[in-house]
Amino acid sequence: MTSKLKQIKDWPWLVLSPVVIFVLIGIFAPWIMQYNPAAQNYDATLQGPSWQHWFGTDYLGRDIFSRIVGGARISLVAMAIVLVAALAIGVTIGSFAGYVGGRVELVLISVIDIALALPSLVIALALIGILGTGYWSMITALTLAWWANYARMSRAVVTAELQQPYIEAARVMGASHIWIFVRHILPHVLGLVVVYASADAGALVLAIATLSFLGLGVAPPTPEWGQMLVDGMSYIEEYPRLVILPGMALTLVVVSFNLLGEAFALQKVPRPVRGGLLRKRRRARAEEEQARQAAERKAASA
Amino acid sequence: MLDMNRRIFLASGTALAAVASLPRSAFSMGHETLRIAIAAETGDLNLLQNVSTLSSYTVVFDGLIHYSKDGTLQPGLATKWTVSDDQLSIAFDLREGVTFSDGTPFDSAAAEWNLKRWMGVPDFSWIGVADAFEGITTDGPNKLTVKLKRPVPAALIELTIVRPVRFLSPKAVDAEGKQTAPIGTGPWIMESFDSSGSVLVRNEKYWGEKPLVSRLELKVVPDELARANGLRAGDLDIIGGDWVATLSPRRARALEAEGMKVVAEPGTATMLVGYSPKSKIIADKAVRDAIFVSIDRAAIAKVLFEGYADPTANLFPASIPQSGSRVEVPARDIAAAKKFLTDGGWSESGGWMKDGTPLTLDFLVSEESLPGSRRIAEMIQGQLSEVGFQVQVSSVDNATMHERRPAFDYDLAFFTTYGAPYDPHGTLGNAFVSTADSGPDGKIYVSDELDVVVKAALDATGAERDRKMQELYDWLRNNTAICPIVVSQRLWAHNPRVENFSLPATDYDLPFQGITLKA
Repeated sequence: MTSKLKQIKDWPWLVLSPVVIFVLIGIFAPWIMQYNPAAQNYDATLQGPSWQHWFGTDYLGRDIFSRIVGGARISLVAMAIVLVAALAIGVTIGSFAGYVGGRVELVLISVIDIALALPSLVIALALIGILGTGYWSMITALTLAWWANYARMSRAVVTAELQQPYIEAARVMGASHIWIFVRHILPHVLGLVVVYASADAGALVLAIATLSFLGLGVAPPTPEWGQMLVDGMSYIEEYPRLVILPGMALTLVVVSFNLLGEAFALQKVPRPVRGGLLRKRRRARAEEEQARQAAERKAASA
Repeated sequence: MLDMNRRIFLASGTALAAVASLPRSAFSMGHETLRIAIAAETGDLNLLQNVSTLSSYTVVFDGLIHYSKDGTLQPGLATKWTVSDDQLSIAFDLREGVTFSDGTPFDSAAAEWNLKRWMGVPDFSWIGVADAFEGITTDGPNKLTVKLKRPVPAALIELTIVRPVRFLSPKAVDAEGKQTAPIGTGPWIMESFDSSGSVLVRNEKYWGEKPLVSRLELKVVPDELARANGLRAGDLDIIGGDWVATLSPRRARALEAEGMKVVAEPGTATMLVGYSPKSKIIADKAVRDAIFVSIDRAAIAKVLFEGYADPTANLFPASIPQSGSRVEVPARDIAAAKKFLTDGGWSESGGWMKDGTPLTLDFLVSEESLPGSRRIAEMIQGQLSEVGFQVQVSSVDNATMHERRPAFDYDLAFFTTYGAPYDPHGTLGNAFVSTADSGPDGKIYVSDELDVVVKAALDATGAERDRKMQELYDWLRNNTAICPIVVSQRLWAHNPRVENFSLPATDYDLPFQGITLKA
């Protein structure tokens, strides 16, 4: 078995599968949805699960299954946009600060520290207060609230990598700053930041749902889990599924992303040597020792 | 076997007669406590400050005139009132023998002192009689006349409102005239209050029909579900009332199914969609006409109000005085809506367009300002989208709503009329007059032409007033200036322990009159 194949085999597929399912549902939502998630049917309000409506209908007669699937798409797209934008901003600013150093670094790191001192959701709420409510305001606010962590990490990686001898060697050989950064430093930055971002995805999905729950995110009639939760609250006594179903979808996705992030992180941590590998190493060490002793004996006899 | 001789018969008869002559309150238990949920704390009940909930004042303070359930005026602290022919003075006969709960007599001097605290004061110019106030004359301890600079047709109804109109003991103020205690002549005396609630005891000196329970607890429960659970658990006796502690139609149905008593009666406040006079699209009457017939009012009343609302096309329900002739509620008609748009020059191909402008509308809602409004907006959005409107529901917080609504920064927004006893003059004078200061409530519709029509209606007196009011309603209808949706019913629920429950006169009052509690 090649090492590549072994790496794939070692992947935590069980952890990854809910995330893959979520992504696939998000991508293929238009084909999975049985009904238009915004279509109202006053003759079929608050119906229980049936063959026609797998998860039943809500207070306006809308198909809950279609709305949850549609909600997955909205959450996925919004989360992806925010992550990409926040990564781009964070990596750019953090790397620039780390690479340039000096006063520029001092100023930028102060800005990053200020941004990190406040909880992301509080920053997002404040920004929405300025930008107004709506989908793109939410995306902008979350992006501006989420970049600082990536910037700090990028700066730390860049600073550490700049101390490495191979960077100095590259400089001596006349490589340009751009070349050094793109070829030698950026892969290290992305390697760390993307792992962190995978764990952050769950928190972002939750933040999107929270803002919509507060009426500050996705506007009706677009289906969104946080919005479905708040709308279902009035019916929680008699029709708890209006709250439980979007709540479960949200929980599942958030937990899956968190586990995925953890699995990514664990892949980076050196594993304790146990079992066969340990025996193999001991055997190798013993063989080395025997060889060394044999060599010494040979040298002594000579 | 008891021998019934004449002495026993007479003694029994006398005893029975004595018992029968006792007031009903004598049968109530000495320590019975009626517990009513309120959504916000009562505060110190300062009559000149807008800090306490209106309903809490009504149990402590009386007015000269009381507003009854049918909209008629009933004697309160005044037993009789006479408006002069020129409508420039109102003479009151004050009720004799009334004292404030601190023992201070209520007489013409106390009444004059109270009235002068707000009449003629600029802060209260939103009240017609305060704005037109000229002076007060007294004639003995029980006669008082209010003189006005100009006729105020709604003067008597204005005297039924809660704040600042009701009467405070002249001894309940400090040297600077600031209220120090909530001392009134009403049926209850405030014993204590804090952030968790207020405790009131029966005013044994009350001039009217005394409450049949001796204590009243107003418990602060801001969350509606918690209130319903409090009722179920027996911690609360009564919940509900739009201005007390709102009970949603859905919750009312759930409580009813569990054996709680739900009392619903036609309401007095209309919910309507307001058209922004600053919106270019809404300025097109064809668009307003199309919206008016696109909305399925019956479905909204049935689906979202669970039947606890009445569809309407009138600005005010019939229970409001001078509310005009009834307008038939239009059935939803998509074809008619499209025809209005086509006749108005809109072209449907690829979405409604006119002069390069798409038919997109911004619908401003705030759950904080009006609970449940987002779901109603969503339903209306769905109905309008079937006609071809592109409606963006902007869900905002209370502060943003209070900023955007007065600035007409919307195309559509929800409004509610004030309800009894503030209507019709309250809503008309504030929400339809361009120069009125309606504060964060904004205005339902304004135009220069409408200003003239509203002024004529509000200034008219006698039979002329009815005619002018009808002209005003006709103007609103003919110009499709308003889009009434439903009149939500007054909803209250009580547990089976409560007997003889009846709704108070208005949504600003608390229910306690005639109520007894099972042991």
